[in-house]
Amino acid sequence: MAPSNIETRTARPSSVVSPERAHAFTKIAAAAAIVALYLIATYYVAWANLQFQSLILVAAIYAILALCLDATAGLLGLFSLGVGGFFAIGAYFTTILSTTYGFDVFALLPLVMLATGLIGAILGATSLRVSGLHFTITTFIFTLVITVLATDLQITNGQQGLLGPNFPDVPDFLAPIGQPIAWCVMLALFAVTFAVWSIRRSLIYPVLLSIRDAEPFAEASGVRAAPIKIIVFALASAAIGGAGWLFCFLGVVSPSQFNWSVSLNVLIMILIGGINTTPGPIIGAAFVSMFPVLVHINPWLQEVLYGILSILAVTIVPDGATGALKRIRARAVRRGLPQARRPESPADSFDASVSVGAERAWLDRLLPAVHSSAPKANALGDAMAPIVDCREITFHYGVGPPVLNRVSVKVLRGHIHGLIGPNGSGKSTLANIIAGRLRQSSGSVFIKGERVDGLRAAGRARRGLRRTFQSAQLTKELTTRANVLVGTYGLVPGVGRRAVIWPLLRSAHRDMRLMTQRAGDALRSVGAERWADRRVGDVPHGIEQLTQLATVWVPNPEIIILDEPATGLTSREVEHLAWILRELKGRGLTIIIIEHQTRFLFPLCDLVTVLNAGEVVLTGTSDEVLGHPIVRRVYLGS
Amino acid sequence: MFQMMLSGLTIGAIYGLLGMALSISFYVTRVINFAQGQMLMIAIIVAACLSEAGFNPWLGVALGPLAACVLGVASYFIGVRPILKADRFSFGWMVSTLGFGLVVENAIAYAVGPRSRGFPPLLNDIPIRLGDAVITGQQILALLVAAFAVAALEFVRKRTLFGKVGMATAADPEMAESIGANTMIVSAVTFALSGLIAGIAGVLIAPRTFANPYLGGTFNTFGFVAMMIGGGPENPANAMYGGLLLGVLAEGANSYINSQASDWFPFLILVLVLIVTPRGLFSTSNPLFRPRPARPA
Repeated sequence: MAPSNIETRTARPSSVVSPERAHAFTKIAAAAAIVALYLIATYYVAWANLQFQSLILVAAIYAILALCLDATAGLLGLFSLGVGGFFAIGAYFTTILSTTYGFDVFALLPLVMLATGLIGAILGATSLRVSGLHFTITTFIFTLVITVLATDLQITNGQQGLLGPNFPDVPDFLAPIGQPIAWCVMLALFAVTFAVWSIRRSLIYPVLLSIRDAEPFAEASGVRAAPIKIIVFALASAAIGGAGWLFCFLGVVSPSQFNWSVSLNVLIMILIGGINTTPGPIIGAAFVSMFPVLVHINPWLQEVLYGILSILAVTIVPDGATGALKRIRARAVRRGLPQARRPESPADSFDASVSVGAERAWLDRLLPAVHSSAPKANALGDAMAPIVDCREITFHYGVGPPVLNRVSVKVLRGHIHGLIGPNGSGKSTLANIIAGRLRQSSGSVFIKGERVDGLRAAGRARRGLRRTFQSAQLTKELTTRANVLVGTYGLVPGVGRRAVIWPLLRSAHRDMRLMTQRAGDALRSVGAERWADRRVGDVPHGIEQLTQLATVWVPNPEIIILDEPATGLTSREVEHLAWILRELKGRGLTIIIIEHQTRFLFPLCDLVTVLNAGEVVLTGTSDEVLGHPIVRRVYLGS
Repeated sequence: MFQMMLSGLTIGAIYGLLGMALSISFYVTRVINFAQGQMLMIAIIVAACLSEAGFNPWLGVALGPLAACVLGVASYFIGVRPILKADRFSFGWMVSTLGFGLVVENAIAYAVGPRSRGFPPLLNDIPIRLGDAVITGQQILALLVAAFAVAALEFVRKRTLFGKVGMATAADPEMAESIGANTMIVSAVTFALSGLIAGIAGVLIAPRTFANPYLGGTFNTFGFVAMMIGGGPENPANAMYGGLLLGVLAEGANSYINSQASDWFPFLILVLVLIVTPRGLFSTSNPLFRPRPARPA
């Protein structure tokens, strides 16, 4: 437990019920009230007249589609136009198999979801290799193909479509609940909303957003981005297929209900409502699906108005209705408190009031000296085994001269190893090759004695190697603490599996608390805890750098690679950084630093490798390097 | 067989022109203008209405593409520019250009009525015999225009300052601005040009399709398929090759498979092409895909 937390909690006056308990109780009561209200509303819908009921049910099904699309577009930045296609497969599959072949509709639901999920996985696997726009185009074509098939095939009865199956009657004792299909639709909407809401409260949420906005950072934190994207897309596709299953009970199933303009409308829904929010897609779906009912004008003018509204939505309020509401509320709050102090923004982020002892305590908690079991006396010959060993690395981009030419560097366990050289000498390229972000043209990399040439960045991160980037790769939308949480990925198991029911799990609460505390400790260790609740987009460059550093040692790694860590830091922060790095070294970490600030670097390093024009000039101690004539000429300029 | 090839090539030329129109605006702004088909449609409607009102049909042929050109510029300022200004890497343009198309389509339907109206035959009633096959004057005109458009665009792209500024705008608008290019003018002119090409395609095909406000969607889809098959995003000429191939394949499917096969066969081809070479058949290396944002250091 964080001492600060304990203090604040015990300091509160103890009443009959502890405040924590009371808080939990209010939460449960609020949740129960929401569920009860929702059930009453559903009951009302289930007994409503047919016209109103079908309006609500169609809107609810569209809300499911919009939530599913938002799970890929909002969380992962994958703008799919395949919604119509998966929706169609769900509806046609169910209709044809139940009416023509007499399958039981309930048995069909898992089948439908399995089929659409598989198709989604295949589509994702083939199209996500290239880039976002390619994915959009592929899913667009997918919907086109499905619509064309539905129009031209015999079995789908062309443009006229098919009459959907009847929803099975419920047993008599359940008759008072009203229309069973209404319950099914509304409960499905509830389940999907809950799942999406849970994901936004789980540890996977910052990870997903980091895949969206800063994939190299996610990979460097041990997140395998590609399979996660495919899995999320496949799950969303399966849910859309399930929505198609629900939809076919509402009446006729015909091609025009599933063409690409449906996919587009669902996209408009999430953009109108607010992308990457839970209520946004629901608001958008309600608006778009009720628009023709609410606006009684000439159908062409209605379409014109709809077109104008959708243009306005994406151009004037790109963050949608929820974003606009948030801004209005923020303005109202500000007006209500005219003298409200602006949140303090310390000019110098480094918190001088913290004693060195306290900092060391945080580092101790964060990085218990597990690595000290590693040979301490590495002056001895046996302990000199390199922890990172680059052998004869050559790298070139397509044509042209090699960026690295037969570079061999050995980094010893527990060392701080400097990499210097003029711009363009291949330092960052070498770091990228060690970290697995680039693949060398020839040569091989050994980490902890194991050849890792077949491993990508995420795999190497899981073996205890973390790195920072020359220009910080962070998710601007998230707080610095949430970004540091990405670094903890892999410390607790099953983050992805538990995400959809996250708030219900005791273990999830515990892990969340532990990881949040770790992230807080890491931020404290770099002196940036005052910025923990600020979004990265709003913090100065130096804090971004410090946050990046915190993400690197929050998982207690063995090797860290820092690519120009002192850039953008004030001189006090640089001093502090040097202090931390020495502390980390004392805890057995191996550190590789690329840096231009030689005054910072040389006193710190055990060994320094000098690169020039893709070749190693020499590797030696700081003094050897400083005394070397070529280094003085090419790099130090004297 | 020869007849099928010929009619395939002529319809393919139309798809190719539309694909080229799509790809030149993509080339500069990295946006697929989903309202492109509506430009083809408006040219046809303007020409049809003018000739219905008793003017010389060739006046309509001249003014129709001009209307399309204006619409192209409008689509840039309404549907594309505001989005790119806010966030160059968002997908909002997908919604706004399709929304723009929806507005145009339905406004026209409201203004002139949703029915199909006749179109003057122009050169369509001049048959020319080539062996067993027959080709009309209009079809020959379409092929000539297509060839001219390919040559002219290649020239502009490679040999003129405008083409190079266009490339610069595509790669990095801020950079292009900073070296003195007015990216707004460049983009607006590009959209005007793409509107013009779509409009010309419209009056070329109109004697066969007649005039209907809802023509745009179908042609837009086929133009898009042509662009993607050929690899138009890399080079507008590729879209034309893709279009010609698409036309021949569609006609071939119609005569060898069944009369509805052209509805689905092109998509099958497109899926295969995209699986094998995601960047289009005639592309060399340059990706269609927008460059990754260079994160400010």
